[in-house]
Amino acid sequence: MSDRRLRVAILVLSVLGAGIAAYLTAAHLADAPLLCATGGCETVQRSRYAELAGMPVASLGLAGYVAIAATAAARGELWRAAGFVLALGGLAFAGYLVWVQVGVLDAICQWCLSSDAILVLLVPATLLRLRDSR
Amino acid sequence: MSRKTLVAVSAAAALVLGGGLAAALSLSSGGTSKATTTVTGADRLTTLLDGIEQHGAVLGSPSAPVTLVEFADPQCPYCAEWEARALPGIVTRYVRTGKVQIHFNGMTFVGADSETAFRTALAAGQQGRFWNVLTLLFANQGTENAGWVTDALLHAIGTAVPGLDTQQMLDARDSATVNRGLADAAALAETAGITSTPAFAVGKTGGALRVVQLTSLDASGITPALDAALSQ
Repeated sequence: MSDRRLRVAILVLSVLGAGIAAYLTAAHLADAPLLCATGGCETVQRSRYAELAGMPVASLGLAGYVAIAATAAARGELWRAAGFVLALGGLAFAGYLVWVQVGVLDAICQWCLSSDAILVLLVPATLLRLRDSR
Repeated sequence: MSRKTLVAVSAAAALVLGGGLAAALSLSSGGTSKATTTVTGADRLTTLLDGIEQHGAVLGSPSAPVTLVEFADPQCPYCAEWEARALPGIVTRYVRTGKVQIHFNGMTFVGADSETAFRTALAAGQQGRFWNVLTLLFANQGTENAGWVTDALLHAIGTAVPGLDTQQMLDARDSATVNRGLADAAALAETAGITSTPAFAVGKTGGALRVVQLTSLDASGITPALDAALSQ
């Protein structure tokens, strides 16, 4: 796949992820209910795992997606590497959060899983861009 | 740097990033804090409750003919006094003998420590240790809303209860089951019209319960109502 197509794909995915993360961050800060089909979003959102150092965990995701989008907009090997580091690091952290939802909280947040799915797609996209692009 | 090396270094950096975030969140959520506090009353309360059935927040045999519902806030000083003065005698005379089962209906209106404490006891209830943790919380009660329900205290209490997996208890505090327990308790208190604690309701198991006006914080304040229900 061409670098241009990969950059567009990464940009679209990270904008989608940023949208989800922004929604979760805003709902957390406003203490507002979430649209939720799985019934577990509130449990996850109000748990002690929803904040890190006083910040909503979702805001970390927002920052991560914005940064990945920025790497897609930029050219150069270091930017491509940064995009892959952020996507894979985000996926590793997301894996821990899935374990928390299933193993600790006994509750599933559909928005978190949607974000995880986006990360699953971003990892190969950023990897391909790092490995193959010239 | 070759492309292959760059991919490998990037992957390693990514795993450090993700692992670091996970470790930071685990630490900040209290998942790995250690016991630094000692608790009082552990031996006495373990002996008091030893061998008595516990099902969630219910102490005693499910087939006991009379049910006593205790409405109490883990932070309320009078509730702690009742637990210290009245509970041992009632457990020995009525619960251990299979006559009465006690259902603790937690209330959390005093403040944040109330909810943390009640959540922890409900989480311990998933391991059949609700009353062990609850009575130790009362026995080690601190000043209202002073932040006394610390992770260190909860670790120490968990460690003092035989057969309890402390980490499992702490992890279960935010579970959907505990959330339901909290909501059910609030609903029952509202239905019963309870506005202050401690308050009690007594009746035949499975039948209508009657709110009892306490005349004393020792066992004699509630035993007439238990005896009356048993003789019905």
